[in-house]
Amino acid sequence: MRRTLMFALMTVFAVPGIALAADAAAGGAGEWVKPFAALAAGLGFGLAAGLCGLGQGRAAGSAVDAMARQPGNTNRIQTAMILGLAFIESLTLFVFVIAVILLFVKS
Amino acid sequence: MDIIDHPPILRLPGIPDHVTYTWIAMLILIVVSFVATRRLAMVPTGTQNFMEMVLDQFHQILDEVIGAGGRRYLPLIGTLGLFILTSNLMGLVPGLASPTANLNTTAACALIVFFTYHVIGVRKQGVIPYLKHFAGPVPGVLKPLMFVIEIISHLARPLSLSLRLFGNMAGGHILIAIFFFMMGFDGLLGWALTGSFGGLLIGAPGTIVAAAFVIGFLLPLKILVAFLQAFIFCMLTMIYITGALEEAEHEAHNAPAGHH
Repeated sequence: MRRTLMFALMTVFAVPGIALAADAAAGGAGEWVKPFAALAAGLGFGLAAGLCGLGQGRAAGSAVDAMARQPGNTNRIQTAMILGLAFIESLTLFVFVIAVILLFVKS
Repeated sequence: MDIIDHPPILRLPGIPDHVTYTWIAMLILIVVSFVATRRLAMVPTGTQNFMEMVLDQFHQILDEVIGAGGRRYLPLIGTLGLFILTSNLMGLVPGLASPTANLNTTAACALIVFFTYHVIGVRKQGVIPYLKHFAGPVPGVLKPLMFVIEIISHLARPLSLSLRLFGNMAGGHILIAIFFFMMGFDGLLGWALTGSFGGLLIGAPGTIVAAAFVIGFLLPLKILVAFLQAFIFCMLTMIYITGALEEAEHEAHNAPAGHH
């Protein structure tokens, strides 16, 4: 199972290289940057979004727990939760900025 | 970014879009303030009533977060909050652009906050005590290390402030632009209009589903995000100011304890 997964990952990483192998021979190393940039942006943003979802889910879940225990403190808990979510989210947005730079900034 | 770049209606030659639309946001705020304060009445009506409600909200949050003396910072917090909220919402009006979807605008706001809270801290407790507090409550050997770490974490604040606002706004715009592109003449709608069987089977319902999704979910989400990001920006500014002020109270607390 694990070996299959590793092989699949390696294949995914190799695909843009194989696809452009012919071009690369003619065009030089610069041709390799674009496909790998797209791959890095997609994989990186996927990872960041997924893990951010896990983190935010934990935060929101705990906040709802706390609100259920102490309905009187709902406002304060909500503010703290929103701040926490913003901090977690900002890490994903760093990745978003990097992905945008990778994809759209012409080097 | 050619596909998703939607040029706004008004473009001044030689001036970047985000500057033009910053001016428009300023114009909106100035006109609203002027209309609200033109005929001040004890029993407010109309625009004045609305603006007083908004300012009451700001007062309430300031009292809650900074505490006593927090209302001194209403000009800073209120201006930042209203400007960012107006800019965020302007991005949702077709034909207008959102200044906060450009990193330059958000970095300007974040740098204002960065320098302001340091100036507030220095004015409250003087240069040397303020700098000493970066070292934190650790034993002497570790102080230089803590100092460097704290400096880095303080430098990361404007970075994360600006990137958070920019990323949320630009990300939302790209998402909506991609959806419009997907259901437009180059996408599902174009496929449906070719009259082929696949177009009628998938393209036509797909267009309707995508349009319903955008109108029913994405646009409300973007309005929510516009309010939330303005709120978070103000909240973090207030927390940073509180941090710069609270260190002085810490010192005041420690001093009597030392005397005992």
